Amino acid sequence: MSSKSDAKQEREIKIVGFLCNWCSYGGADTAGVCRFRQPTDLRIIRIPCTGRIDPLMIVKSLIQGADGVLVSGCHPNDCHYAVGNFYARRRMEVLKRFLPYMGFQSDRFRYTWVSASEGQIWQQVVTDFSETIHRLGPNPGLHQTVDSAPAVSWF
Amino acid sequence: MSGKIFVAHDALSGLLDDLSKKFKVWIPQMMDQASGHIAFGVYAPGKKPELTRRSRLSPKKILFPSMDTLFKFTYVKDPKDPVRYTIDLKESFDNGPTLVFGARPCDTRGFQTFDQVFLKGQYKDVYYERRRQNTLFATLVCQDSDTACFCSSVGSGPADMTGSDMAVIPIEGGYVIEGLTDAGRKLVETSGSAPSPEQAAAAEQMKRNTAALKIGEDDLTGYADDLTRRFTDMDFWREQVSPCITCGVCTWVCPTCYCFSITDEASGMSGERMRSWDSCMFYLYTLEARGHNPRPTKMERYRNRVGHKFSYFPKKYDGMVSCCGCGRCIRTCPVSIDIRKVVKELKETADDRA
Amino acid sequence: MDDKTNALREHVKGIFSNLELVLGWEPGYDPLHTRPFYVRTESDIDRLTANCLSFQNLTRYLAKSMNAVDPAADGRKIGVCVKGCDSRSLVALIQEKFVSRDRVYVIGLPCRGTLDARRIRALVPDPARIRSVNAEGDELVVETDRGISRFALDRAIARKCLQCRYPNPVIHDVLIGDPVTPRLKIDAENPSVAAVEALSLEDRLLFWENQLDRCIRCFACRNACPLCVCQNHCIMETRMPKWITQYRNMNEKFMFHMIHALHLAGRCTECGECERVCPVGIPVALIKEKINAIIYEMLDYESGIDPEAVPPLLTFSPKETGI
Repeated sequence: MSSKSDAKQEREIKIVGFLCNWCSYGGADTAGVCRFRQPTDLRIIRIPCTGRIDPLMIVKSLIQGADGVLVSGCHPNDCHYAVGNFYARRRMEVLKRFLPYMGFQSDRFRYTWVSASEGQIWQQVVTDFSETIHRLGPNPGLHQTVDSAPAVSWF
Repeated sequence: MSGKIFVAHDALSGLLDDLSKKFKVWIPQMMDQASGHIAFGVYAPGKKPELTRRSRLSPKKILFPSMDTLFKFTYVKDPKDPVRYTIDLKESFDNGPTLVFGARPCDTRGFQTFDQVFLKGQYKDVYYERRRQNTLFATLVCQDSDTACFCSSVGSGPADMTGSDMAVIPIEGGYVIEGLTDAGRKLVETSGSAPSPEQAAAAEQMKRNTAALKIGEDDLTGYADDLTRRFTDMDFWREQVSPCITCGVCTWVCPTCYCFSITDEASGMSGERMRSWDSCMFYLYTLEARGHNPRPTKMERYRNRVGHKFSYFPKKYDGMVSCCGCGRCIRTCPVSIDIRKVVKELKETADDRA
Repeated sequence: MDDKTNALREHVKGIFSNLELVLGWEPGYDPLHTRPFYVRTESDIDRLTANCLSFQNLTRYLAKSMNAVDPAADGRKIGVCVKGCDSRSLVALIQEKFVSRDRVYVIGLPCRGTLDARRIRALVPDPARIRSVNAEGDELVVETDRGISRFALDRAIARKCLQCRYPNPVIHDVLIGDPVTPRLKIDAENPSVAAVEALSLEDRLLFWENQLDRCIRCFACRNACPLCVCQNHCIMETRMPKWITQYRNMNEKFMFHMIHALHLAGRCTECGECERVCPVGIPVALIKEKINAIIYEMLDYESGIDPEAVPPLLTFSPKETGI
């Protein structure tokens, strides 16, 4: 983590985006068709539904060094499968509140709802998240060895 | 020279500092104060060896790392014909001069089992062999047994120096370190000054007293045939193993468990072939590709663990039990399964039913 | 737990003919250890013990080692001894249909705390040779080869017991002994979690890395857990999908514990078994306790209380807003 500032300049930012097939993936497509300008940091993985999201996918991405993880799906009540995103939002909210406890920056993970027609909103979401991640800088990942750790009287 | 030196308590870190210039020195050390976790770690100035309390993990990983890269590979494409490729292999060895300081006799003796399997058979394990040849053991004459210790039950004892290059004998005010092998003697003689006659005598006395101790009540060797007789008695195994949760603690902490698994971990065009510890207590250990598992439940698996150590191994290697009596499996077992009791009851119940 | 051995044996003797077997505890290899014990015959009953050393959560065996769902052919039930925390695991297993309530006869044991063998070893002068351990009122009396030590029970009981909210079994067919006053109120802050949260973000990461770095992947925490029900199909060990490699580095160790914790989100009943069995002393339960606190705050749900409830991450509510 000491090399944080050096690393800032070293490599490009990579954001993993998990987008649901029916809404946000279409929304991203709409944004592209409408030629809205978007940052290029996002790598999109298409998923059938945000209900498919296992919080572990987000954790694994962050541990493996993704600088940010964005999950986007249909608006609640608009899920193609009726209820997939209702399950998802509970799981993702629990994860978002849990990440800082383990020492992860919770700002590196965001979930949002964008429909297939909302190209403009998609542009805002991506631009805003991308700016956040640039502000945070590259994800330093985990330390592979720990020389000294803080004392905690957890016991 | 006598091949012995005396090191006062406050001079011990100085000695380890000197040794660590020539060797990678492993010492038992406190890894976490809150849980009192002691394990073997590499010495660095400022670290204190824990010589008065037993380590929870054995020094097995020093010669047999829990994860060991055997070689690295890269697929290299032929630029003229991209369909063809060659594989570029790089062997991987990590085996500089190493010294294990402060292991107990049981810890050091654990490697005798490894030697049988990895060095003395038809095939030699080069990875183990190179580490073994480059490693010296300075073993502590053990002063403090607990209720789980049973080294004398398996043909050893708290002053057994089998496999050790040096003996570290605690006496009043410090330690007498005695060279036992040529390499050990050579190292000792260049590392300090000889003990006074009184100190040497005290060390001899200490060694004699310790050697006379009997740690563990029963003799647990010679049960090879009893296991064979008990083999199909599933009621016996059910009774012994019911509480088992089939975790791998007993095998992970064991100084003599040498089973391993080999996997390729690759990403893109390159990767590593690595060896990692495997545990016979896991379902996947014997799971076959087709889906059949010859040891489907914990009864078969635990029977194998006991059988391997106290029956199959001695039958193959001149009666040598592949258990060093350190008691770690008993101490760390979440459900308090006692391997001594299981082995003993092999015989008693066998007789009862005969 | 105060010594309830005699009362338990008496009770089991009276009902044993109606039961297939009883899950209880018996003494382990030394006075500081206890073994889970399957009472299969009448003569086994006198081996049963129930005291402050009855650590193990026996409901683990119900889901993983036996058929506790289908009614027995002869109508006999499985008897199981539960402390307060264990009973919550049982409720969670009933919720998820791994155990049928009709299949078990629940023997409830109100509990003032179980001992932590590691803390006792640090407290007594000669931990290698302990002859006996007894709780007498609020004192613990430990006899070793070098004499008798007495100290406050609270200094020797497990961390989970110091913050116990449910010392009395939440379901039971019979209660042995009088109910106990909980140490913490249900909505009280978890002091251990608060201690970790007091650190800065960077220090929290270092704290967890330092703890998890010791992990040797023995899977004791997973296997001891009554709610880790996937058994031989755990994603820790599958190669496809490959969540975890054979590397023993920080990434994999961290990932393993995240898997364990997140798969228990909304299900963990804080029985503390994962933490107790860890051979390298990682405070594994501390991770799950935070998730439980989040779920309590967010969804007002506590696991293992109501057998009819559905664990919150296995269901949803369309009305929820703000998340």
